Amino acid sequence: MNEKAIAQSGLEALVKDGAEKAQVIFVTSKKQELNVESGEISLLRTTFNTDMRMTAIKDQQRGIINLNKIGKSEIKKAAKTALNLAEASEKDSAYDISEKQPPCTFDNAIKEPDLDAMYYRMAEFLKEAGQLYPRIVFENLYLDFTRRTEYFLNSNNVDFTASDGIYNFTAMFTAKEGKKSSSFNYSCVATLDLSKKLLSLGLLNTLLQQSSEQIETRPVPEKFVGDVVITPNCLEGLIDGVVDSWLKDYALISGTSIYKDKIGKQIADTGFTLRSMPVSKQIANGYFITQDGYKAENLAIIDRGILKTFLLSLYGSKKTGKPMAPNSGGCYVIDPGDKSLDELIGNTKQGVLLARFSGGQPNDNGDFSAVAKNSYYIENGKVKYPIRETMISGNIAQMLMNIKGISKERVDFGNRVSPWVSCSGLTISGGDK
Amino acid sequence: MIANDFKKYCGLFSEYTELRFQENRNLRIVFVNGNLSGNEVGGRSGVSARVCKNGSWGFASTPEQTAAGAKSVVKSALENAVFLSTRDNLNRSIFPKQKAAVDKDFSTHHKRKTQKELIEFVKEIDAHIKETHKNIISRTVLLSSLEMEKSLITSDGSEAFSLTPRTVLIASLSMQSSSGPVELLDMFGGLGNFEDHFKKPSDLYARIAALVDDLAKKTDGISAVAGSCECILDPELAGILAHEAIGHTTEADFVMGGSIAANYLGKTIADPLVSLVDFAHTAFNRTCPVPVYVDDEGTLAQDVPIIEKGVLRNYMHNKRSALHFDTVPLGNARAYQFYDEPLIRMRNTAFLPGNSKLEEMIASVKNGYYLVKTSNGQADSTSEFMFGVTQGYEIKNGKIGKAIKDTTISGVAFDVLKTVTMVSDDMKWHVGGMCGKKQPITVGMGGPAIKCRLNIGGK
Repeated sequence: MNEKAIAQSGLEALVKDGAEKAQVIFVTSKKQELNVESGEISLLRTTFNTDMRMTAIKDQQRGIINLNKIGKSEIKKAAKTALNLAEASEKDSAYDISEKQPPCTFDNAIKEPDLDAMYYRMAEFLKEAGQLYPRIVFENLYLDFTRRTEYFLNSNNVDFTASDGIYNFTAMFTAKEGKKSSSFNYSCVATLDLSKKLLSLGLLNTLLQQSSEQIETRPVPEKFVGDVVITPNCLEGLIDGVVDSWLKDYALISGTSIYKDKIGKQIADTGFTLRSMPVSKQIANGYFITQDGYKAENLAIIDRGILKTFLLSLYGSKKTGKPMAPNSGGCYVIDPGDKSLDELIGNTKQGVLLARFSGGQPNDNGDFSAVAKNSYYIENGKVKYPIRETMISGNIAQMLMNIKGISKERVDFGNRVSPWVSCSGLTISGGDK
Repeated sequence: MIANDFKKYCGLFSEYTELRFQENRNLRIVFVNGNLSGNEVGGRSGVSARVCKNGSWGFASTPEQTAAGAKSVVKSALENAVFLSTRDNLNRSIFPKQKAAVDKDFSTHHKRKTQKELIEFVKEIDAHIKETHKNIISRTVLLSSLEMEKSLITSDGSEAFSLTPRTVLIASLSMQSSSGPVELLDMFGGLGNFEDHFKKPSDLYARIAALVDDLAKKTDGISAVAGSCECILDPELAGILAHEAIGHTTEADFVMGGSIAANYLGKTIADPLVSLVDFAHTAFNRTCPVPVYVDDEGTLAQDVPIIEKGVLRNYMHNKRSALHFDTVPLGNARAYQFYDEPLIRMRNTAFLPGNSKLEEMIASVKNGYYLVKTSNGQADSTSEFMFGVTQGYEIKNGKIGKAIKDTTISGVAFDVLKTVTMVSDDMKWHVGGMCGKKQPITVGMGGPAIKCRLNIGGK
């Protein structure tokens, strides 16, 4: 049986067992991954997997089963289990599946990895990084190629097939000299091909350079309220925090989102525009189908400071009565600003160049505190020195409103595109020494 | 238990090889403000092989749990090892042979509940919170379970079967404060199935009432004063200090990757009051939260004394790192899914109890904080750690004062542990510890209350 037929058999089994609405998401994947541990190319992995997610809705009750065994008997048994789960469930009119749309097939046409090229690029990276940055120790490097096909079928005749292949590179490293070590740092980038050196991807060169000089660190000179210039690497976690904490189903259904009444209102500085662009050419590692079975579309979440949309699923939309988002989030692109990075730093009287953010989850109000890692003290418009044991406290919602500047320069990580962003009003404090 | 026909696959091995059949089964039921937003079960199973040739490793996996699947992954893993060894022959010596056998099944002996019964249980708790605690503005009650079933054979002759379930019920509640909603959660359960931990919903009501009381105090919470301060870490929170501050720093792959702990083996890194152990499966005559008897490399699991009376004694190893450091592995190589390779992971990492009482520890602080619950944490190669604090209180002149808002604490572990001046005589394990390091994994974390000096975030 071919893969599409396997997905179809799951859908048929659900309907046959009594599902009034049925949905099957069947994903096949093959990953080949080169691993470097302690500076050696030490492991090559080849993994195959299949994942099927079967949803049954009957009498407004819903059951979901996930399985990776896709033989006829396993699928039949899973369909019965999904119906049993539905019968055990509560009635909720918000349980639903996507409505009929024209069938579509998507494919980025990258089907097989070039394993020799993967090895070559990894060995080249180790050699060149070793020469350029002799203090750097690589704890782990992973370079993988994953080819994935998703079949999305439902009983409303939705029939999507989406395939893609993508290379992902992750580097985790520390600088070491004698008995001194820097903080570790890491970066992840995605790319459609290996035409470029790994060292040139994302912000890797800069991060390795910075780690090399972060063996010698000093505390900030005093506790103060100042600015932070957030690097593109660090911005990812902050943006994910804002979106996941306040713009998705949980926060809006539970009513805890501070933005629940802010559609059409200003929640960020007017220079700030945040887009989710899963089907943009700007994003190498995007997606074609939403979690609910719609063709994904690009959208602006915050447009010149104004909140334009939540990222609600079909269920979240029906529970809250607010519109469903045309994509499932991620693939974030922040519009460039009108200042250079040098100008952002030059305009900082006292602050921190924040390169990594190690902190607890922001609370429901957006208050947070975090340790600034791999970061630098800024004074009178100049980057002074790498810092240690520095805590930054503030409120993420206030930070968005207090954006002072956004850089013209942006960094492409393959799954997002980010500039440097400067914000004011953060409490910055050091340790004892 | 490990099936006899599983052993026949040994004939497939030509180099050092591990062959693992594994199934992870999970369940998730979530009520958000009375809405059943999650009701699903799942299973993921397959077979994987890892082969070592001349120091290069190959790994392969497939969901096909058959003889053909086993044969294909052994062949593919060998081909991968050969691919690497022909390009860069690391020419490592072979690991000393280790043979272990164990069969451990922690699944419940009680009659299993149906999904409907489980949903009813969670729903009843949700309804109780709604009816009893009118000041709660938002509530989430979540039941999740994970059963990991593994069968392993290695070319060294190890044979292991384990079935390790974990069940956790989480109540996460929000209350309105003058500055917006405030949240706090509590977690119940641990090693075992649902039936081992939960008899009737009302058994949890006293703890939920205590959670609501703590949350009410937090609505009047003040910001901590940012900077260095004296803290009492509650036993509930000390576990994450053990895990983040020291545990990660002393994982041998972290040490080989630049961790500052490389400089301190055999040296004093903490006050003599401090001892820290990564327990394999049993501590203080009780089974640990995440018992490991044989790890996923087929090594017999034993305790790793990491710090003894302030002196750093050992790192945690897999076979590769043990060879590098000329020592023996003690069972820290663990994989999460069937398609994951074993990594060096902690098992049950805990500070050992001391002689003080929590009350006298609090009474000894003139101006500081008593920190109770944590959210997440992170370690660093410099041993600088941080973790989020979701419940804490001021201590003023030896007495508990106002609650504080969510904050983060941090410090350099090898400095902080030298500031320890009191350790309590009790001990708690964290119920639902998960650790992320390429793969997630279940971990146990525990300890007594600890008095030390830390950095705290705030205003």
